[in-house]
Amino acid sequence: MAIVAKQADPPRRRNGELPLLGVAMPGRRTYRVWQRNRDVFFQLWRTELVPPLMEPIVMFLALGLGLGTYVELTGDLDYIQFLAPGVLVIFPMFAATFESLWGAYWRLERSGTYAAILATPARPEEIVAGDILWAATRMLINSLLILLVMAVLTAPWDLIQSPWVILTIPVNLLAGVLFASLGLAYTSKAKSISQLSYFFSLFIMPMFWFSGAFFPLDGLPGWAEVLAWLTPVFHAVELDRALITGDLAWSDLYHLGWIMVMVIPAFWFALYSMRRRLVQ
Amino acid sequence: MTAIIEAHGLGKAYGDFEAVKGIDFHVEPGEFFGMLGPNGAGKTTTIRMITCVTPPTAGRLLVDGLNVEQDDRQIKARLGVVPQDDNLDEDLTVRRNLEIYARYYDVTGSLAKERIDEGLELMQLADKAGEQIHALSGGMKRRLIVARALVNDPRILILDEPTTGLDPQARHLVWRKLRLLRERGVTILLTTHYMDEAEQLCDRLVIMDEGVILDGGRPRDLIAKYAGSEVLELHLLPEERASIRAMIEPHVGESGRIEQIEDVMYVYGLDPAVAAEVGAQVEDPYRVYHRRANLEDVFLTLTGHGLTE
Repeated sequence: MAIVAKQADPPRRRNGELPLLGVAMPGRRTYRVWQRNRDVFFQLWRTELVPPLMEPIVMFLALGLGLGTYVELTGDLDYIQFLAPGVLVIFPMFAATFESLWGAYWRLERSGTYAAILATPARPEEIVAGDILWAATRMLINSLLILLVMAVLTAPWDLIQSPWVILTIPVNLLAGVLFASLGLAYTSKAKSISQLSYFFSLFIMPMFWFSGAFFPLDGLPGWAEVLAWLTPVFHAVELDRALITGDLAWSDLYHLGWIMVMVIPAFWFALYSMRRRLVQ
Repeated sequence: MTAIIEAHGLGKAYGDFEAVKGIDFHVEPGEFFGMLGPNGAGKTTTIRMITCVTPPTAGRLLVDGLNVEQDDRQIKARLGVVPQDDNLDEDLTVRRNLEIYARYYDVTGSLAKERIDEGLELMQLADKAGEQIHALSGGMKRRLIVARALVNDPRILILDEPTTGLDPQARHLVWRKLRLLRERGVTILLTTHYMDEAEQLCDRLVIMDEGVILDGGRPRDLIAKYAGSEVLELHLLPEERASIRAMIEPHVGESGRIEQIEDVMYVYGLDPAVAAEVGAQVEDPYRVYHRRANLEDVFLTLTGHGLTE
């Protein structure tokens, strides 16, 4: 009796999928997807650019001048000076988050944009990566607008105190990639448009209040400081504050390290999870 | 000539549900090939596998000699896809939609302009180039999506129910454009649940139901094989059925038969002289149709139910 050796199936290289990672490496069509989003945005730029310019102005006036006159901080910063880096992170984060939640969900489920792009040589990973980079670009655009407002307000209130401020631009872009990756990862799991607000009210809004953007965390109990440490906003605000005031220390590099380390799994998971939703 | 699309035992299962159950078919280059079947037949799933969006769970599928599980980019570069639902960028103009789409294929600059002008001209949309999408009618949007599918000069054009929801005039215009493309040598694969669409357009087609292919061939061969040349279709009152049936039965030839599907009686292979007599027996002549057999009859014969539910 002959014994037939059981042959293993030949390994299948599934349309560029990398072993272990379960995603294909995004290629140059990432840029094509980014270009598409940019073109749609600038089609409507007159209306799109007004809110990101108005929001920080209103915030500086209301909190900086209104509330700020009642607040005395222990350090040597005025309240409006303390607030500035918070505004520089929070509002652009909103833009990146909106884009990666409602914007991406719309393209995924309603307008058919993802499906249209999938029929071209672009891969799912490139659609997601393009959307993440676009949402990060929204963060960048809004950051630049706020920096412009801050530069104008520096005359009366000395908001920008150091040329290091220029480095808040790459820091915010990197933080934007992280916020966008988290947003798209959540969107890839969302079953309805109403579920998107959970991410906002349970994740974004607590970060908004409790990550050292509006008041120093020193006064809070220890566990609150630990929670804040776990949020990306805290690290981005600390970094931007150091760069704006010029009060830099080597230890600030550790905030940068935190963001750089977190962005990798977040980006990967967004690609991985959305691929599984699109390729069924 | 080797096939441009080849499926061998192609299947797709979602858990326990098999959307496509091991089908075999092939499409020849230059051919207008159809997949006719009702909703849920597995047509769209098959299209999704051909366009490398859904990986098969069984069998093999080659497009232009390439494997859909390994060569997605090369395959997608050679396909033009017209989806079931309109998915244009509503905020952009007609021309901008095409420019952005062409970029995904690295078709830019003067080549893009050339292809876009040609596509718009071909689809009778040249004067709409500057319009916003929401200003277009349903038929124009469909034609624009066909123009969009042509920006990469595809070897194969794939259309998933391209005229669903269009009014008759708009449908006929789309059909004319598709025939024109076929004349120009584009291979076309189309799915539809309209038997007239399949009959008017397809050189060859397969009939699908519940994830399997029931039969395939040229439309007129399938009609001759399953329905003969003529059909007598009777919309009878319940009390008339037995007597009329008794009258017809002796005159139905060897290859013919009578099918009662819900309230309609279909008589295949009936002596034409008798068919005329039946008309006289039924009180209201508008309830008797003596007509040419069509693909709907083929589908009915094969499945015992209609194409639309």
